[in-house]
Amino acid sequence: MKKTLGRIYILIIMLFLYLPILTLIVLSFNEAKSMSVWTGFSLHWYAELFQSRLMMGAIVNTFSIAILAALIATIVGTMAVLGMAAMRPRTENVLLGINNIPMLNADIVTGIALMLFFLMVGAPRGYTTVLFSHTVFCIPYVILSVRPRMNKNTNRLFEAALDLGASERYAFRKIVLPELWPGITSGFLLSFTMSVDDFIITYFTRGAGINTISTLIYSEVKIGIRPSLFALSTIIFITALLVLIIVNIRQDRHNKHNMAEVY
Amino acid sequence: MGELIRLEGIVKSFDDTMVLNGINLSVRENQFVTLLGPSGCGKTTTLRIIAGFEKPDEGRVYFDGKDITDMPANERPVNTVFQNYALFPHMNVGENIAFSLRVRNKSEDEIRERVKAALKLVNLKGFEKRRIDQLSGGQQQRIAMARAIVNEPRVLLLDEPLGALDLKLRQEMEYELVRLKNELGITFIYITHDQEEALTMSDKVVVMNEGYIQQEGSPQEIYDEPVNAFVADFIGDSNILSGQMVDEKIVKIDGVEYPCIDGTEEGFPPRRRVDVVIRPEDIDIVPYGKGLWNGTIISKLFIGVHYEMLVQSEHGKVEWLLQNYDQHDVGEKIGMYVDPENIQIMQKPKSDAESAIEIDI
Repeated sequence: MKKTLGRIYILIIMLFLYLPILTLIVLSFNEAKSMSVWTGFSLHWYAELFQSRLMMGAIVNTFSIAILAALIATIVGTMAVLGMAAMRPRTENVLLGINNIPMLNADIVTGIALMLFFLMVGAPRGYTTVLFSHTVFCIPYVILSVRPRMNKNTNRLFEAALDLGASERYAFRKIVLPELWPGITSGFLLSFTMSVDDFIITYFTRGAGINTISTLIYSEVKIGIRPSLFALSTIIFITALLVLIIVNIRQDRHNKHNMAEVY
Repeated sequence: MGELIRLEGIVKSFDDTMVLNGINLSVRENQFVTLLGPSGCGKTTTLRIIAGFEKPDEGRVYFDGKDITDMPANERPVNTVFQNYALFPHMNVGENIAFSLRVRNKSEDEIRERVKAALKLVNLKGFEKRRIDQLSGGQQQRIAMARAIVNEPRVLLLDEPLGALDLKLRQEMEYELVRLKNELGITFIYITHDQEEALTMSDKVVVMNEGYIQQEGSPQEIYDEPVNAFVADFIGDSNILSGQMVDEKIVKIDGVEYPCIDGTEEGFPPRRRVDVVIRPEDIDIVPYGKGLWNGTIISKLFIGVHYEMLVQSEHGKVEWLLQNYDQHDVGEKIGMYVDPENIQIMQKPKSDAESAIEIDI
């Protein structure tokens, strides 16, 4: 009895979480433009999606900005961590505190502030300003995820490498970088996700005529959403799901592999 | 055996804290030298200066007669076994040991041979492919040793390498270290706060405190003839009593005048206030009234081979620590006798600077 109740409870939660997405997926295959009536299966909206220059442009923008912003933020953030690690602890703590402020700050404040900044310096708003803004708000997240990897132990390993005759460059490449790597990759992935997800900051810093997926959807809402956007959302969801499954399987194999080695 | 390393007037401070107050030290080739002292005494900093991780504010470091004070760590012919081993976690055992050889672009064949030989030396044959986190503490310790010696350094620096091991493993490793040192025929500079480790393994012990070298000498010398109360207290159990020279070669300890073997010639003229060290195992128990001092046993502990007793003396109300193989009961009145050879008279320290014993090279 207790078990059945538990299962029903889980089921309700799952439905609550995934029913909306399921609805979206189903509607993306609907023949009609209707959001409520099922008239038959069709790939019509997928075709429209790939033919629409507006939408394809938004997709390219979204992902190219995300990749570039994440890449630049990861490099800058990692370098910042290396610099901070060499500082006195008190100075470093002050900087880490300052680093936390942009993350706690409301996106809308950051967005408006960046917009005003671009207006003030007279930068024409467009792709570059969005990329710049995304890089800026991603850096704190990179610092936050790389910093914990850079500890006393990393320093000791670096010294050990020097002691064994390695040059500083060699020791950094062979010892420090592999130590930081998990933090660097998670910083990169976090930045990528934050960038793809962002709407508010993009909205305020983009110029006319440039859209990311989120700003495009927002502007479409006003004139009525076309089901091709459902198709786009479906593709994004399925891609994310596949990536998640692959990562999990690999993690699982890795763990099993390790266990096998121990025993 | 010539001199291999010499430190001359090393001074080092961090922020505003003085860590080393002018260290002079000489290490001969093939010596096992131990820097011994409580935490914060400057022993680790001294080691880091020899390794090249810290630059002294003043003073020079010489290696084989050559000034290496400004030589970077990666060019010095010394290798270090770190306190927490500092093994590279993303590399396996073989790659860890091979690191210093790869840095020097040795051929893969040579690397394989030398890694194998190093592993054999530390009794971990065939461990090449193991991951670091699969090793026990003792094994990690051996790998750290193997990694440090594979490149055949002339000096091996060891920073409390046994600190993280349990007692039994530690004693085992003490023998291993001495064996390794003899097999390799290289110089060991060893750091510890454990006086037993220091006495067991070293050719020379250097006792440090508050950035000064307090005393250096063979383990026997340090134990039998501590130069001051700090050394006496740090090396083994001891009674450190306040005394005063009352006449030529007569010292008053705990209210009793006692003929000793030190006098003006040794630097203890009459009326000088002194510290006296008496090791607890050197105190003989004799029948009440027959000894030099009389007292009552106030506590007794059985410690494996012997009994440890506290005796309240009747003279100056001092508590004496005794170690004896015979059993005596709490409350028993006894006499105590000490052979004059076993009494070590020391100067009372007057200040920090004066308590530092300058040692000529």
